[in-house]
Amino acid sequence: MIRFTFDGRALTAKPGQTLAAALLDHGIKLVGRSFKYHRPRGILSAGVEEPNALVTVGTGGRAEPNTRATDLYVYDGMVATSQNRWPSLSSDLGSALQLVAKALPAGFYYKTFFGPPKLWLFYEKFIRRAAGLGPAPVEADPDRYAQRAAFCDVLVVGAGPAGLIAARDAARAGKRVILVEQDAELAPSLLRDPQEIEGQPGSVWAASVAAELRAKGGRVLTRTSASGLWDDNFICLSEKLVEPGQVPQGAFTQRYWHVRADEVVLATGTLERPLTFANNDRPGVMLSQAVRTYVSRFGVVPGQRVVVATSNDDAYLTATALRQAGAEVVAVLDSRPSPAGQDSGFAVLNCAAPVSAAGGKRGVTGVTALIDGAERSFACDLIAMSGGFTPVVHLHMQAGGKLDWDDAAQAFVPGATRQNVRTVGSAAAPAPAETFGALGPAKQAFVDFQNDVTVADLDLAWREGYRSVEHLKRYTTLGMATDQGKTSNMAALDRIARREGMEVPQAGLTTFRPPYTPVSMGALVGLATGEHAQPTRRPALYDLHAAKHPIWLNAGYWKRPRAYPVGSETLAEAGLREARSVRQAVGLCDVSTLAKFEVQGPDAVQFLERVCQTTVGKLAVGRGRYTFMAREDGLVFDDGTVWRLEDNRYLLTSSTGGASRMATWLSYVRNYLCADLKVSVVCVQEHYAAIAVAGPQSSAVMAELTGAEAPRHMSVSETGIAGVPVLLMAASFSGERAFEVHFDARHAEAVWRAIEDKVLQAGGAPYGIEAMELLRIEKGHLVVGPDIDGRLTADELGLGKMVNKAGGWIGAATLHRPDFADSMRKQLVGIEAVNGGSIPEGAMLVRRVGEQAEGHVTASGLRIMEGGSIALAHLMGGHMRHGEELYAHSPTRKQTVKVRVGSPHFYDPSGERYRD
Amino acid sequence: MTDVVVERLGFAPLQLLDLWGDPGGVQQVLGHALPPVGRAEGGVLRTGPTSWLIEGEVSALKAAISGDGAIAAVGGGLLRVRLSGPNWRSLLMEGGLFDFESPAFTTDCVVITVIDHVSVTLRVEGPDSCLAYVPASHAADLLHFWQISAGGLPQ
Repeated sequence: MIRFTFDGRALTAKPGQTLAAALLDHGIKLVGRSFKYHRPRGILSAGVEEPNALVTVGTGGRAEPNTRATDLYVYDGMVATSQNRWPSLSSDLGSALQLVAKALPAGFYYKTFFGPPKLWLFYEKFIRRAAGLGPAPVEADPDRYAQRAAFCDVLVVGAGPAGLIAARDAARAGKRVILVEQDAELAPSLLRDPQEIEGQPGSVWAASVAAELRAKGGRVLTRTSASGLWDDNFICLSEKLVEPGQVPQGAFTQRYWHVRADEVVLATGTLERPLTFANNDRPGVMLSQAVRTYVSRFGVVPGQRVVVATSNDDAYLTATALRQAGAEVVAVLDSRPSPAGQDSGFAVLNCAAPVSAAGGKRGVTGVTALIDGAERSFACDLIAMSGGFTPVVHLHMQAGGKLDWDDAAQAFVPGATRQNVRTVGSAAAPAPAETFGALGPAKQAFVDFQNDVTVADLDLAWREGYRSVEHLKRYTTLGMATDQGKTSNMAALDRIARREGMEVPQAGLTTFRPPYTPVSMGALVGLATGEHAQPTRRPALYDLHAAKHPIWLNAGYWKRPRAYPVGSETLAEAGLREARSVRQAVGLCDVSTLAKFEVQGPDAVQFLERVCQTTVGKLAVGRGRYTFMAREDGLVFDDGTVWRLEDNRYLLTSSTGGASRMATWLSYVRNYLCADLKVSVVCVQEHYAAIAVAGPQSSAVMAELTGAEAPRHMSVSETGIAGVPVLLMAASFSGERAFEVHFDARHAEAVWRAIEDKVLQAGGAPYGIEAMELLRIEKGHLVVGPDIDGRLTADELGLGKMVNKAGGWIGAATLHRPDFADSMRKQLVGIEAVNGGSIPEGAMLVRRVGEQAEGHVTASGLRIMEGGSIALAHLMGGHMRHGEELYAHSPTRKQTVKVRVGSPHFYDPSGERYRD
Repeated sequence: MTDVVVERLGFAPLQLLDLWGDPGGVQQVLGHALPPVGRAEGGVLRTGPTSWLIEGEVSALKAAISGDGAIAAVGGGLLRVRLSGPNWRSLLMEGGLFDFESPAFTTDCVVITVIDHVSVTLRVEGPDSCLAYVPASHAADLLHFWQISAGGLPQ
């Protein structure tokens, strides 16, 4: 026996039983409380359509709320808890809401909570507390979820007899087959209604078909729900590897499959429809096939005195199963006229239907029926009802399929499809049934059990003018609960059609959207949680940096050291110390993440002069220059350097953050705009590690390391450090004499250690992004993102003098647009705090607080040696406004600082410090 | 218990050959023609319409393609990882997009695809192993992903 608890009560279950079966086995009929009125609810169904018996299963971060007890197999140690009740399930104070149910009709909140917005803040607390069913866990989910792709020729959804035969036929035809079944067992309908197939007991036959599929290379997945079907037969499967709340035995608790199938076969079967009568939601009112499932499959008889209410023949199988199990079938209420059912051997009453159930939270005690216009009551402890069968057409519709109306079955069936999807079995041909509408007081006759929508609610919405079924759905919340209206949809359409005086197909139909059954958020996330929530890119020197315990910066996906604090230094203190070390001595910084492209070929220069706004052709071998790139609209979107390494070989660098975009851009330019050029463009971002060495002593450090005089500013030499061949490029992003050392990343650690050794000897230190920001802001160098944000031209960024006047670069033509001549477009400026204070990054630049913003602060720093807050900014007409005083105002940070506009170059504007 | 061994082979001298012309003499240097799209031969993998990844020495090849293409070193940025064992195809389906289980994906087939958000170049070495070229910056993440996934493959 399996041991579990329900609301703290220790219980046992037989192997293979669902929680619902186990509870019924113990005589427990009250399982939950309804969403809105807290009405007592029991078990309606035996499958995924269950609207009532929702529980929280598991504990801590593994707890899963709103889990259907009918779709949950009991395991040893399972902890199940009822929901939406206080202090207990049987004595729920919330049930007092039933006394004021008249004041809470459909859409009551639309009519009630009018008034000043502040009042809503008051209401909200109570509404939020009252809303919902089971509470979401607040602890982290300790389990892992897998995501996986799969491809097949034929995907079969549903492993009933029709699905098994379809899968077997496909496998025998040599197709790659995947068969999925949401139940734990294959062919669950054969467990409910045992029969022989091909000379074997049904379950044996099903197992043999599955074995044949596997032997032919097919895949059979149980406890797997096809949750959505998308374009091109892309279908998502949600597989439970263990039951909800259960500790996984293997690596994963669930697996989410992304399947691409040439053909999809839907053998999804049907769902039984409830009947609509007063108190049809009481514990002890169940669907007929569900009762039969509990009796035949799980060995549980849910009641001893049973009234069967039906509109079709199928329910007679239930009556027979109950009788065989020893229960008394008090009466069969058949809505059809005689002689329907008269040869069944049961006490059949024709033209009969239930009007009202009697009983309370402990279950039904009787039923009143309308029989040929007269009412009659029966004592019973179980009502087994069947209002016909609704094909499961969700996936068919999600694939863009149409629905046809089957008059005999009073149901929508799959029609034309626009994808290679077909439906087989009972989903394509449901059993005949009739409908007869709702009986009994409309206020107590429930249509949508999970969202507490009654016939009266539908009628109210109709009276208030909601004619479109889509509007009515939203107004009443019909079909919007976790069960997605699986048992309510057709009853609602029938009611609307009757009010309108039309047939159901004319009443319309709501859209079936994924998922078919709820999918755990964890399954959608997969392994992308915690530190793996997004890809992490580690530079070649990552481990070396990590040993220094830096403050890390997530720069895009890259992990970069932001600062290397010494002792108890804060980020700001460490950053300033490192920046001063560069200004006064020398520092080294890992710049491996820079984008780098090797451009080779006889047409390399033509290619680069299309991409870069600066001249490239005049560069001598061994020389480089700062450059920047524009889109077709003429606006600058990235910058970097270009170096001529050989006659027809260049190295182009650009920003870290824009690296992927630049790779895409260069590929586009190469393959579409310059397809005729003889040029090769290869991204070597990861091949080359790079270290920046900056400071007045950097030349001496490099000379000592290489044994040769360091190249002059914007020159490159091929040399060696620690025995590793390196490109030594004299370029500065700090305002000091500086170098970038590029080399094969496999040797990153050896080169870093050699350089660091000399830097430390020279009184310097490693520096991170924080110091780099301070240095470059003071110098007025730009960063892609905040400063180069793709909205300014080269002129507006102060780069106009460097633009290749001969044109030819991408974006040159569009710069003649009249809009670009507007002198009040934003332009890059520097700003400095006038009376002290720190200029907030992102602040608006205004003449007076409250006035229209004329620009914004893109990057904020300080004068490294002297102190004082400085910043770069985009300002309307900024180039003409040097000397003007404005306010940098940040309402979000509640900071306002008076600033003076000026040049963006706060440090060594003539560039003297670049030179030895 | 896992049926896949994830083995970090380390880095190798890798070059990317990019052609804009039609050089003669390549076959003579390599001992075989450049492989077609989706295939590999010897130490050469086709990685694009005009590009090949080459493992090994390329100075003779450089001379052979002169004027018709270029070669760039890329080996410092690609970690080689071998996936071996009967379930290596199954492992690659985890977090993947490509049909590694296709019977047509056989020895010396090459694909560049995305696995767990990372662009990976893969070459089938034989029935029981596959060689992956993983961007070095993503390697730690992807190896972690493979190690976790290998422990829970579907049967």
